[in-house]
Amino acid sequence: MTFISNLISGISLGSVYAIIALGYTMVYGIAKMLNFAHGDVIMVGAYVAFCSMAYLNLPPIVAIVIAMIACTLLGIIIEGLAYRPLRKASSLAVLITAIGVSYFLQNAALLIWGSTPKTFSSVVGFDSISLLDGKLIITAESIVTVIACIIIMIGLTLFTKKTRIGKGMRAVSEDKDAAELMGINVNVTISITFAIGSALAAIAGVLLCSAYPILIPTTGSMPGIKAFTAAVFGGIGSIPGAMLGGILLGIIEIFSKSYISTELSDAIVFAVLILVLLIKPTGLLGKKITEKV
Amino acid sequence: MLKVENINVYYGQIHTLRDISLEVKKGEVVALIGANGAGKTTTLRTISGLLRSKTGSITLMDENISHTDAHKLVSKGLAHVPEGRHVFLQMTVQENLEMGAYTVPSNVKAGIEDVFERFPRLKHRKNQIAGTLSGGEQQMLAMGRALMSKPKILMLDEPSMGLSPILVQQIFDIIKELNESGTTILLVEQNAEMALQIAHRAYVLESGHIKLSGTGQELANSDEIRKAYLGG
Ligand SMILES: Nc1ncnc2c1ncn2[C@@H]1O[C@H](COP(=O)(O)OP(=O)(O)OP(=O)(O)O)[C@@H](O)[C@H]1O
Ligand SMILES: [Mg+2]
Repeated sequence: MTFISNLISGISLGSVYAIIALGYTMVYGIAKMLNFAHGDVIMVGAYVAFCSMAYLNLPPIVAIVIAMIACTLLGIIIEGLAYRPLRKASSLAVLITAIGVSYFLQNAALLIWGSTPKTFSSVVGFDSISLLDGKLIITAESIVTVIACIIIMIGLTLFTKKTRIGKGMRAVSEDKDAAELMGINVNVTISITFAIGSALAAIAGVLLCSAYPILIPTTGSMPGIKAFTAAVFGGIGSIPGAMLGGILLGIIEIFSKSYISTELSDAIVFAVLILVLLIKPTGLLGKKITEKV
Repeated sequence: MLKVENINVYYGQIHTLRDISLEVKKGEVVALIGANGAGKTTTLRTISGLLRSKTGSITLMDENISHTDAHKLVSKGLAHVPEGRHVFLQMTVQENLEMGAYTVPSNVKAGIEDVFERFPRLKHRKNQIAGTLSGGEQQMLAMGRALMSKPKILMLDEPSMGLSPILVQQIFDIIKELNESGTTILLVEQNAEMALQIAHRAYVLESGHIKLSGTGQELANSDEIRKAYLGG
């Protein structure tokens, strides 16, 4: 039974990574940059939801919506102020800027909310499910997280496949000049991508803190790095890849924690990543189409 | 229809286009020919707003577009088929065509039917991923995609590049047809002979400036052109 219960925690943790990884992968696909501040947007989302619930006594669902709106705006502002001026700069300059934004957000959070951990109260209102006479307990948070992840995955896939803006995003991610020549406003499309990724980060932050309730200004950084790893693992730029990578990473992490060693679990996660990249440099679902000349 | 006056374009410090002026009148096919590196592609990219000229002006149907964003020009009636086709390789033929109608979603259905009529080969490959099309098919797709926005003026950058003689002939026939059905055309070509055959007028670009201009006929008969571009 511990195996199944570990598997469920793995899938649930992995679902959070997957939701975060979607933000990394969409932004990478479109702007060809690693938004290292993405993890910290999660933390901001969690704080905003925390404040809405703890100080304003708002119901969880309203708190989540407020957190999503706040993160959407934050994402658009970060992109507009920090990254847009660097659209033609070297990728190293963009990377360093992203790290700068990450530190800025962490320190701003420290200033606003202080370093004392906040105890996040779960947004999930119902009880855990107990199966097989209590031998297998599935937490309500796991169920909600996995369902949220599935809904987001389906929603995003439909969005990019079926809607005009979604198709425009795919066009921009493939070829910015050609997209511009089709009449697509590339800058607006990039903003929309940041907005969606950041709104998802808010959801991820709330779900993460509902399962692991300690909230501090660096709460987002480790999950951020792991989710980035998940995105690379699954094939950066690929939406199903982010999903698969996230869930596998969560499972690997929980299994290494319970069967091998808690201390080594992160090292094992990254070792698996390196192994996958050695065997398949584009990640599990990453594809490379050779250009015809 | 399109008027370019004294534009100067730089790549960093390098002065690439020097005082280029050219005009395309309504209903014309105008060819822009010249050797590799003469600045033909740079000229088209500047007209369509992907590059900016430091001085001078570009006018499209009496409107100054020198500072207009590239994506806004599509709905003003300008379409540009870039050098190297630049179709969306991971999208299907159908999706590529839909992207062409991004500014006129209402034209998707009729536009696609029209493109399939002009390029029957694309019809059978409707659901094929563009990256797996042959070079010629990609060129047709790039042209079809540009037509989806119902352009008044179409700029083509080396549509014959890398195609077999039969296909080149086909592409030129289509360009002629398009022109006869009312589309104004600015055509950049290495294949000077064929370009001059269908062009009402032409400009010869050399190292970033206009060296000669005249009717297609005049240039085709000029000694200078024969020596430099038509192999004697
Ligand atoms: N992005 C760029 N940065 C710097 N220089 C460039 C850039 N693009 C083009 N050039 C230079 O500008 C000049 C004109 O190039 P352009 O592509 O316009 O030539 P072209 O006439 O289209 O040539 P071809 O027939 O080979 O396509 C060339 O010397 C080229 O090296
Ligand atoms: Mg060229």
